[in-house]
This record gives sequence, C-alpha cells and structure tokens, in this order.
Amino acid sequence: MSVINDTKAILVGMWTTWKHIFGPSVTVQYPEEKRIPSPRYRARIVLTRDPDGGERCVACYLCSAACPVDCISMQSAEQENGRRYALWFRINFSRCIFCGLCAEACPTMAIQMTPDYEICNRDIMNLLYEKEDLLIDGCGKAPDYNFYHHAGIGVTQPRGAGDEERPPVDVRSLLP
Amino acid sequence: MPKLIIDNIPVEVTQGKTVLEAAKSVGITIPHFCWHPALGKAGACRVCAVKMVDGPVKGIQMSCMLEAQDGMVVSTTDAEAMAMRKQVIEWLMINHPHDCPVCDEGGECQLQDYTIAGGHGLRRYTGKKRTHVNQYLGPHIEHEMNRCIQCYRCVRFYQEFAGGTDFGVMGSAGRIYYGRVADGPLESPFAGNLVDICPTGVFTDKTARFRARYWDYDMAPSVCPHCSLGCNTVPAARYRELLKVIARQNDAVNGWFLCDKGRFTNSAVNAPERPRVPLIDGRQVAWEEALAALLLRIREIGTEYGAESLAIVGSSGLSMEAASLLHLLHEKTGAGSLCYFVDAGEAQQSATVTACLNEQASASMADIQAADLIALVECDLLQDGPMMALAVRQAWRRGAKISLVEDAAGTVAQNDNGLNSTDKLPFEVERVASLIDIPFADAAHPVIIFGGGDKMSEVMAEAGKTGAKLACLLGGPNSFGAALLAKEYGAISLAEAVADKKVRAVVSVEADIPPELLPKLVVVATLDWRNTETVKAAHIVLPTTAWVEMDGTYINNEGRAQRFKKVMQPGLPIKGLNPSLHPPREHTPLVPGGQSRPAWEILVDIVHRLGSEEDIQLFAGQWQRLRDLDATGNGLLLTDIERGIK
Repeated sequence: MSVINDTKAILVGMWTTWKHIFGPSVTVQYPEEKRIPSPRYRARIVLTRDPDGGERCVACYLCSAACPVDCISMQSAEQENGRRYALWFRINFSRCIFCGLCAEACPTMAIQMTPDYEICNRDIMNLLYEKEDLLIDGCGKAPDYNFYHHAGIGVTQPRGAGDEERPPVDVRSLLP
Repeated sequence: MPKLIIDNIPVEVTQGKTVLEAAKSVGITIPHFCWHPALGKAGACRVCAVKMVDGPVKGIQMSCMLEAQDGMVVSTTDAEAMAMRKQVIEWLMINHPHDCPVCDEGGECQLQDYTIAGGHGLRRYTGKKRTHVNQYLGPHIEHEMNRCIQCYRCVRFYQEFAGGTDFGVMGSAGRIYYGRVADGPLESPFAGNLVDICPTGVFTDKTARFRARYWDYDMAPSVCPHCSLGCNTVPAARYRELLKVIARQNDAVNGWFLCDKGRFTNSAVNAPERPRVPLIDGRQVAWEEALAALLLRIREIGTEYGAESLAIVGSSGLSMEAASLLHLLHEKTGAGSLCYFVDAGEAQQSATVTACLNEQASASMADIQAADLIALVECDLLQDGPMMALAVRQAWRRGAKISLVEDAAGTVAQNDNGLNSTDKLPFEVERVASLIDIPFADAAHPVIIFGGGDKMSEVMAEAGKTGAKLACLLGGPNSFGAALLAKEYGAISLAEAVADKKVRAVVSVEADIPPELLPKLVVVATLDWRNTETVKAAHIVLPTTAWVEMDGTYINNEGRAQRFKKVMQPGLPIKGLNPSLHPPREHTPLVPGGQSRPAWEILVDIVHRLGSEEDIQLFAGQWQRLRDLDATGNGLLLTDIERGIK
C-alpha cells in the first residue's frame, strides 16, 4: 500500500506547486512598486506635538530606560514657564530594532512609531537622528491628548485650573 | 526583651522597639511613609498596616505605632492587611497629581514604589483633586505641594530634629499645607534634608532640577570634603557632571542627614574654568612635557638657589593616599621643607589634637548624641561642622545640658565673617566663664567640643581630669591624617618654613599658597583640580581629579578613616561641550578635558622620574589596615598605635 500512498503524496504536492505557478504573484517589485504598511506598523520614530503645538516630549527618560538596545539619549531642561523639555534628543537608528517599547513607555504620547520604513542610508552617521530630525508638526496618533492639561501641576494653565482639579485651597481658612 | 513571631519568623528585639522595626530587623519590609528611623513614628500615613493574629492585641494594627510585646503573632501578608494597605495607597493617590514624568523624584520616589507594589494602576475615584499654591523656598529647594501625602516627615525633621522655626504645617483637614508663612529661603542650615526625607516629590533639589533620573546616575559611596567631620554621602553624576549629593547613612558619623554646606557647595567640580589640561606658563601641553618641565625646574632651582629653597606643600584637603606619598617627593628632591599645612595655627591645632586624642577619649557624633553634658569651647559649630550642631541638638532634646565657655572678653568665638553664629545654634546654651564651672563630675557621659585656639592645654587637662570625651573641629577633611604624617616626617607649616628659610620655589599639592607669598616665588608648581589663586599664578599646573573622580581615604576629626569611591569619569561635562544644543557627533577615544589624574598617581610618577626604582605601595607600614577599607560601613577608627600615642 506504500506505493499508492507515495504516489498520492507526490501528486498532491505537485498539484499545489502547479497551482501557484499559474496563480497571481505575491512578489512586490520594490522599489518601483511599494507596499502600504498598516498604520500601526513600527518603523521610523517621530516626536509629536500636542494639539496646542507645544512639544509633547518632557524628556522624562522613560523611553531611554525602556530601550533594550540603548539607542535613545537625551538631556532634559526647564523652560522659563516651568515646562520640562528635551534640550537635545537623539535616536541612533543604526542601533534601533524598532521594537516599539519606547512608544509604549512614553507617558505623554510624544514618541510614536510611523510606517515609514525607508530610512536606509549609506553613511551611518546620517542614521543618528537629532531632535530637529525627529520632531514633527502634528499630533500623530492620539490627536486630542495634552499631557499638561492632566498633569495637575499647572504650567500650561493656572494652578488648580486643570480638568480634574479644584481651585487652590486657602490654607489660612479655619472652616472644616 | 520581647519575643514575637512575624510571618512565622521568631524575632527578639530590645524593649521599646516597634513591630515595624522588629520586622525590619529580620529583613521584612513593611511599607511606610511617616515612620523614619531618625524621626520615629507619627501614625499619619496608615500604610504600615499588619494583622495581629494572636497575642495581647488583635486585628489590623499600625505596625509603626505598636510596641513589640511578648507573644505577638504578626502577619504582614494577611489578606485583610494587604487589602488595607492597598486601599490606603489608593486613597493617598486620590489627590496626587499625574505628573511623574515631569517630577524629579520619579524613579527614586517611595510613593511611586509603594503604589506599584500595592497594585494600584488605574484611578477609580472620579472626583477632583485638591491643589495648592507653591512657595519660593530659596535657590536650593523646589516646592510642589500638590504632590503632598501629609506624612508630616518634613515638619518633624525641620522643627523637631533640626530646630528650624521658619517652616511648619498650616491649614486643617484636607487643606494641610507644609511651608513658610511667606515665600522666602529656608533658614535652617539643614533644610536640604527635606529633599531626602520627603517620600514623594514635594521637595526636590533645585540645583539638579530636570537633569537626570535615578537609574542613570553615576553613584558611589563617598565622603563629604567640606569640613573635618567626614559625613557620608552619595554624590550623583550624569554625563560627567556632578548633579547632586544625597546623604548616606552612617550611625557613627552623620546618622541619616547632611548639612546644606555639604549638599549644595559642589559646583567647583563642574566649573568650566577648572584646570583640566597640564599647563606650562599658561600653555597647554602633554603630560610628558609638563612632568619633564617640572623636573627640569626643580633641578634648576637646586643648582641656582640650593635644594633647601624648595618647599613641598600638601593640604588638609588632600586624600590620605596622596598625603602619605609627599615625603617621598621631599626625599627625592632633597627639598628644604615638607609642609602638610599652610597655616601655622592650623598645623599647631591639628598636631595637638592628634597627639592627645586617643581612641578612648575621642567622641564620635553618636557619642555626642548620647551625651548628657556637653561643653562648647571656642567653636563655631555652624561654620566649621554643622552636622555636629545637629548631633548636639539631639543630646539637648534628650535632656543634656549644653554649656558654652566664654573667653576672657565675655564673648564666644566668631566666624570668618565676624558674625557670632551662636545665636543661631539649634539648642539652648548656658554661658559659663570657664571650664571649671561646669559640673562634669555629675554627668555620666560628658563631652567637650573644642574648636581650636589657645585654650587647648586647658581643655586637654580638664578632659583628662574629668574623663569627658573630646570632639575637636579641625580645618579640613583629612586634617587628622595630615597631622599624623606631619608628626611622622617632622614636617612644619609653610608659614614657619617661609619665616625660617628662603623659600624660592613651591610644589603645591592641592594647597592654597598665601597670595602675598606667590610673587616672591621663582617657581610655583601646583597639582590641583580647583581654579585657585595658586593655580592662576602657577608656572606649572598638573590637573588632578576631584574627590568624586577617584578612590581615596580621609581621616576625620575623631581619627576615623573612611574610604570614598570613584563616582564619575573626569572630563568636561557634555553640557559644557557644545552650546549648539546636542553633544558632538565625532567619535574620539579620549574624553575631552579628561586628562586629570589622581594626585597620588602623579606623585608616584614624579618620584619614579626622579630616579626611584622602588615599587611604591600605598599605605605601607603602620597604615596597612587602610588598604582594604570598605567604603560602606562605619569606617575604621585608628588605634592608639596608629595615632602614635603610647
């Protein structure tokens, strides 16, 4: 019976092969032809702005801490209005593995992954992206989120004027 | 000695200890905010709940408020206790802002740790948060009252422990506010401890505001170099910049705290004008060239004026490693004088102290805290050793009598600014005319604190007669060690050397040569890391590393040798390298400005170049015990033999 089984196996296999030879092709002729990745594809990283146009990044160092390959470095600083921002922010894309942990760690939705996968370069130093290369003019995903409106310490609005806050208390009042 | 059982582990503690301390002694950490080893209990935060399964009390109890008693059976992992702690955390977070990313405490925050440990991740409460208006508390401390969880630690430290009067608690109920009556700098010289003691980010270090996170710091156990007490610290650096200093616990020295002088006066390490490259007559050169030039000039001085005109000068700020090598340089150059001190008075005082202060008689800060009678003689505690004032305050709080000996004119020692800071001392003193008026015989643990001056012999005699322990304030972090070495090698102070001989050339190792002497010198060579007047006037400058950039040893005012470890790489901070916002994009194997070397290493190099073949070992002879000194722990108290006392 093994002869019948073997012949059957060969025929089934050959049927699959011939079916795909005459079927539609799945090969994409890159770079003439390009695939459109899904919006959640993880490629080139950007820094976004909040709906008011301010830099979302507060340089909290969580992305650099989460990064398994240590490709993110930055220096935080304080603006005159008390807003924390990145004095410089650098992502070394020659080291980045596009795992998305930085975007997941980001508490202000600043760092986001985009579907732009075409960042190959002949000079490795060009893969060292500084803040001016990373910062975009838009909110990216989460278009309504503004961290400072929820932070609860003022900065973009007077103290106690945030969405979930009561006005500052009068410490000199003796009322219960 | 009550015996109790905590999580099935039998524990025996001394009478009066709490259940929380008992658990801590066997390695069980019960979450707590308001309890602090130095401040004791307040029962304010309610997060240390445990279940008393059996014994004199039963049910859910606050472990910090409950004294350990015989027969107690405690469970820290009981479901009811865990539910209580979880709910307390959630309740403490009700008013806490959502600002961890922009809070400097993030990463080193007790509230953050316990919130995560308690499993509180999502906010269920939909009500609004209470807010406060912050205050300006001076250039060192940032205030953010919205983050407060009302544990009372700050005010208990500031008022009770440190004796400050300008900061307190206001308001009532949910409006509790910790601050000053009006905006203004905090007046206590210990205010910086609020940063360490706050379990969350209400008080943060303004000098390190928005600079780095805890997990990125370069940290190592270190010792404060700003006075002779040798308080233990943890300096935190990042990108070759010293950001801040945190107090490190050492019960024999500083306890848990640190004074503001030690905490906030470290900017010299990052100073852009700091010498970082070897210089010959102001010209930047390589190490090889600078060392060759130094040897040449030493030889020239020898032929022209005679080797006697050369003085090798160390200082009380120099690490023991470098100081113990100075005599080799003295021998090999044939220099006329070896000096460990510049000032004759300081040399004299340190010499007398080290000659009299034996192991038994020297009072540690722990001894001062436990004293019942303290005499202050010619000392300005807040100027020369603020942490000792804090120790005296603890003794005073326990009921010790503090006597201040006035000098002949009826006044007390004045500090450098001519101000009398005794009025600001955080304890009450009784003024007496003489040491003889103090009833030492009635006291069980008397201590005399002495600051230096001409009453030395009187103090020593009195201490010997009464059996009082002695604590002396010296000039620098290694004055004690320098004085021992000075005695061993028969060194004199630079002032005496200048008076005796014609000093024409000086090799200064982290010493400050008097400005009036500098123009008279033919050759000034200096090994230093600070931009001092001596460095500015020096013909040859060899950059050394600051204490945070190397391993080293200081011997403090009681003869306690303490090791400090290298915290950071020497070099220009990245912040100062390129003003065009981001760090340079070129790769270089060399750290910019990173040519500084530890002073002892340079000294070994010079001695070898002077023709010494021998293998130079640090801490040879009677100093051998210092070789394996551990940087953590309580340090090493020198024995009488090591002190040179028979």
